[in-house]
Amino acid sequence: MSASKFDIHELHWLMDVLHTIDVGLLVIDRDYRVRLLNGFMQNHSGLSVTAVLGKDLFRVFPDIQEDWFRRKADSVFQLKCPAYTNWEQRPYLFRFKNYHPITGAAEFMYQNVTLIPLISADGVIKHVGVIVSDVTDIAVNRSDLEILNRQLETLSRTDHLTELNNRGYWEERLTEEFRRFRRSPSTACSLIIFDIDHFKRVNDTYGHQAGDEVIRNTARILRESVRNTDVIGRYGGEEFGVVLIDTPSDKAIVLAERLRTGIEALTVGFDGHEIRFTISLGIAQVSDATESYRHWIECADQALYEAKRSGRNRSVVYTG
Amino acid sequence: MPTKVLICDDSSFARKQMARALPGEWDAELSFANDGAEGLRAIRAGKGEVIFLDLNMPELDGYAVLQAMHEDGLPGKVIVVSGDIQPEAHNRVTGLGALAFVKKPVDPNALVDILASIGLWRGAATRVDFEPGKIDVRDGCREITNVAMGRAADLLARLLGVFVVLPVPRVEMLEGGDLRMALENIAHSESVAGICQGFIGGGIAGEALLIFHESSYADLAELLKHEGELDESVELELLVDMASILTGACLKGLADQLDISFSQGHPLVLGRHNKIASLVPQNAARWTNILTIEMGFEIENRNISCDLLLLFTEDSVATLEERLSYALG
Repeated sequence: MSASKFDIHELHWLMDVLHTIDVGLLVIDRDYRVRLLNGFMQNHSGLSVTAVLGKDLFRVFPDIQEDWFRRKADSVFQLKCPAYTNWEQRPYLFRFKNYHPITGAAEFMYQNVTLIPLISADGVIKHVGVIVSDVTDIAVNRSDLEILNRQLETLSRTDHLTELNNRGYWEERLTEEFRRFRRSPSTACSLIIFDIDHFKRVNDTYGHQAGDEVIRNTARILRESVRNTDVIGRYGGEEFGVVLIDTPSDKAIVLAERLRTGIEALTVGFDGHEIRFTISLGIAQVSDATESYRHWIECADQALYEAKRSGRNRSVVYTG
Repeated sequence: MPTKVLICDDSSFARKQMARALPGEWDAELSFANDGAEGLRAIRAGKGEVIFLDLNMPELDGYAVLQAMHEDGLPGKVIVVSGDIQPEAHNRVTGLGALAFVKKPVDPNALVDILASIGLWRGAATRVDFEPGKIDVRDGCREITNVAMGRAADLLARLLGVFVVLPVPRVEMLEGGDLRMALENIAHSESVAGICQGFIGGGIAGEALLIFHESSYADLAELLKHEGELDESVELELLVDMASILTGACLKGLADQLDISFSQGHPLVLGRHNKIASLVPQNAARWTNILTIEMGFEIENRNISCDLLLLFTEDSVATLEERLSYALG
């Protein structure tokens, strides 16, 4: 379109493209007055051009956070460089409905917004163009994926029967605590390993389903007895582990005893039977002599063995 | 008696560009130096009555040359020729005794005015008859990047009110697999965030990758006068802002010199609080060779640093070469 052969028809279809294109276009001047609003912007906002042209942007779109937007646009005016906002950082600039108001998952339109400097004939930037792209599909897909990934991650570290941490993840957390202790040995940290006494008898007498019920109930009591910061997991068949952060063994034994008496007082009903059982616990506080996290487990195991040997249904602290 | 003129710049592209910008009718005897140390030797040998001095050079940079000249009382009229157009850079060299400051790429008409204003030579701008020879793409890229970086730093300096330290950019041809290693070198073991922005135009295509060291957030927020808590979304915003300024200015600087214009995609956040390995583009292996320009930005007296990588596809290199030879004038 050359200036000498200015063609009103050409201008007409150019404007037509501008208004029909499925991207939002808005132009503001230095005083933040609206100078152009294309069809996309009109239709999504429900505002007519005549009602907004020459009006203050922040009055026309009161949802825009004024100080934030000014800072952004000022840098475009000043530095003659485009500025961007990303849906991840700010879901939308203009609160528009999702293009799929009925079938779509999102309530509003996620937007990527570009602010571009518009250079006038004399080389000065008097206007800034705001380009709005609808990225709802990308945003929704990404969010779905993130939820799925999180679920998958939780799934991969959870024991199905008890919904406690599984052995792999629990050991990972134990390793972390061991490393933390190595970095700052002044903190105390204890480990409890316990198992159900004569669990084989429960299985043999009442069947495996009854055994599962006993394990599930043990997990429930365990969950109810510990603090938020403690890390609990199912370590083996009828074996469980607790990592007690910031807890020396003389405090850990208090928790162990609470657990033991809680289980002792418990009656599990299954298929008309009333099943009662006990647990034995081994406790080991990590120390400079602990060579590895595996060694730490061995110490707790030794204490557990001692508890079994001396008659079961008791807690024993590892003494080296 | 011809005037003894010394052009001191580490880039042969820039030396040629400078030599070609000198007025053809000026009776000058040209010498060249590849770095600051060589420049200083040439000055001591009396080859520099007038010295066109670059600032960003390896070994001894332009500031150090000026400092040494001042300390040793060496004669010579110094005109600094630099892509670093930060006002602070200008002030510093003037403070060290430079007579004038010419921005790169040198405009012959502006140069004539400067020569006249400091009483060195009067006349109209005509070109020196000078055979440019073959262009080395890497050297040419390094030089136009120098200029582009200078512009980006200037914007950053003005926005933040600081001085940006500019090292010499590195230009390398990398294989897809080497890209990961190059990125790892940049990031050491720190936590970094990356912003990737694609660009294409004039037969040249590539991606700009801004690697931001996350320890820089607090200082950056302070400089941008951000009030309130520094949460994830604020950090992301700081990151995107910083990336659009640096990438935008650098790409515009390159495009201007190559006489093309780029379309730029929306910036993509690559990963946050991640180790660098996870930032490497998945399909970097699609291209056997990637022309990589690496530049570091550091803010003086602040804990803010970032690296900007421009990655060009292999099929852009021929066009780049052609465009560079035009840029030489």
